[in-house]
Amino acid sequence: MAQALAVETHGLTKRYSTGVLAVDDLDLRVRTGEVYGFLGPNGAGKTTTLRLLSGLIHPTSGSAIVAGAVPGSPASLARLGAMVETPAFYPYLSGRDNLRVVARYAGVPKSRIDPVLKLVDLTDRAKHKFKTYSTGMKQRLGVAAALLKGPDLLILDEPTSGLDPQGTIEMRALIKELKQGGRTVLLSSHLLNEVELTCDRVGVIAKGKLVAEGTVDELRARSGGRTLRIHATPLEQAQRLLESFLNPDQVRVIDGSLVLNVDPAQAASINRRLVADGVDVSELRVDEQSLENVFLQLTEAPTQPTPASGGGDRSGKVEGNK
Amino acid sequence: MIASFRGETLKSRKRWANWILFGILLITLLLFGYVLSYVIFKNPPRNFQSPVPASVLIRRDFPENLLPTVLSSMSTIGAAIMIILGSLSTASEYGWLTVQTILIQKPGRVAVLVGKLLNLGLITLITSVVALGLAALTSYLLVSIDGSSSAWPSATELLKGFGALWLQLAVWTAFGMFLGIAFRSTAAAIGGGLTYLFVGEALIAGLLRDTPGIKEILKFLPGVNGEAVNASFRLSFRSPNAATQLVDASRGSITLVIYLLLFSILALLIFQRRDVTAG
Ligand SMILES: Nc1ncnc2c1ncn2[C@@H]1O[C@H](COP(=O)(O)OP(=O)(O)O)[C@@H](O)[C@H]1O
Ligand SMILES: [Mg+2]
Repeated sequence: MAQALAVETHGLTKRYSTGVLAVDDLDLRVRTGEVYGFLGPNGAGKTTTLRLLSGLIHPTSGSAIVAGAVPGSPASLARLGAMVETPAFYPYLSGRDNLRVVARYAGVPKSRIDPVLKLVDLTDRAKHKFKTYSTGMKQRLGVAAALLKGPDLLILDEPTSGLDPQGTIEMRALIKELKQGGRTVLLSSHLLNEVELTCDRVGVIAKGKLVAEGTVDELRARSGGRTLRIHATPLEQAQRLLESFLNPDQVRVIDGSLVLNVDPAQAASINRRLVADGVDVSELRVDEQSLENVFLQLTEAPTQPTPASGGGDRSGKVEGNK
Repeated sequence: MIASFRGETLKSRKRWANWILFGILLITLLLFGYVLSYVIFKNPPRNFQSPVPASVLIRRDFPENLLPTVLSSMSTIGAAIMIILGSLSTASEYGWLTVQTILIQKPGRVAVLVGKLLNLGLITLITSVVALGLAALTSYLLVSIDGSSSAWPSATELLKGFGALWLQLAVWTAFGMFLGIAFRSTAAAIGGGLTYLFVGEALIAGLLRDTPGIKEILKFLPGVNGEAVNASFRLSFRSPNAATQLVDASRGSITLVIYLLLFSILALLIFQRRDVTAG
């Protein structure tokens, strides 16, 4: 029976014994059948969240339901395939023997081993010891192990990290393939274009908090959409002036240019004020907001919600439709 | 539980380190416990001095003394090997982070660890059977070469001796396994376990066994209790250096069973509660 949500968390919080607050009051909703990208810079709390969802660590507070049951319970684990942090296998065993061990633990017949080896394209090297594998092969064996159970929900932690461009392309193709049959995929990444290429929906996490959630297009649209890029001299004077009549949050200096998070319709009036103040404006153009900027904007000041645009919407949180 | 037991047996069987440890144990037992002692007592050095003549001492290598000889030969080396084996079985999982891989399969944490315990129990059982079997074979060969005759211990004695061996190997394995989980590092677990064995048991218990206050504490140590159990299997001749035991054999056996349970339960408690992370 399909549920609407494959993963649901309520106020999920994890403070490690070291005192680090790695996940802070997280409310995550992953819908059944989607590929959900969990995006955030290094140290944002992605791996910690995925450990919580697989029952490897216990939450400090809050709760989660994963594949219909409490994380780490046999009922939840039975429907979950996961690779968290890094593909971890026995170095002295071959790829195939590692999968045999995993299959025994998971209680699945060993007849499933050959198909998953084929799917991740490891059949030829299955006899070789895990310790002789390249990063890409280790990563693929991790995916194979996660697939052994034929899980409804697949959790992959940075599946393309450490891969060369060729390996990255292959892994992305593989992820697309894995989605078939109504399977839900939750993958984490610190790379935007990665998520843009593979995911239906994205949750952005920074310093343990979910700062935005929605489709890639929604994120782009609601985070300002377009910006004004101005090349002006002297730069400092221009910046000071702009900050005096715009919200300082809307003014940033990137690569020696001023980037204004304002409605492009204001371009003419802004230009007039700069020139009137004696500033030389050598270039003024409207930039489509790149996803990179959205990402930076969302994760820069994560303790308070980032103003989403120059307009009225002050919430950085972008909800999905409905 | 059965699932994780099956996974564990496969891992143990394919791990070279386990076979090397097994080999070291058997070679030590047969070479130092039997062959070397036979050769020495057969051709005692000119300055050999002992209240019991070498021609009597040599009988320790014959079937009549199978149990006391195997138990005493195995007591320290067996403990050391089993501490290493137990440590490897858990600490390595943390080193490779494979503990994470097995915990995200189906069985819960208790089932995972109980499966591990069952597998270690099976390994110690096999080790006990093979050690006793090979020692019996060797003693039979030696008595035949010697042209003497010697009686085998009775079936009940054999069973009791086998039980004593298995119990002690199991206690030390559980100790190593517990240390592996507590320290999450093979080096720390093996280092700590062996240091305890050689300093705590062999050195202190050996030197201070008659010191009044300390003696009371020593009565609770696993090695001291194991030694008491071993001493209840007597040699066929009066041994010149038989030490008096601090506890009797039945108290020794009970103490060992308690240690076995204690190490297993402590390991379970830690394993069940603790977060599993790479750090
Ligand atoms: N085992 C641990 N003990 C203490 N702190 C940790 C541990 N693992 C991660 N952290 C800290 O928690 C924060 C989030 O880390 P992590 O979840 O690994 O982030 P990400 O996967 O997004 O890079 C970081 O500050 C990290 O240093
Ligand atoms: Mg991570």
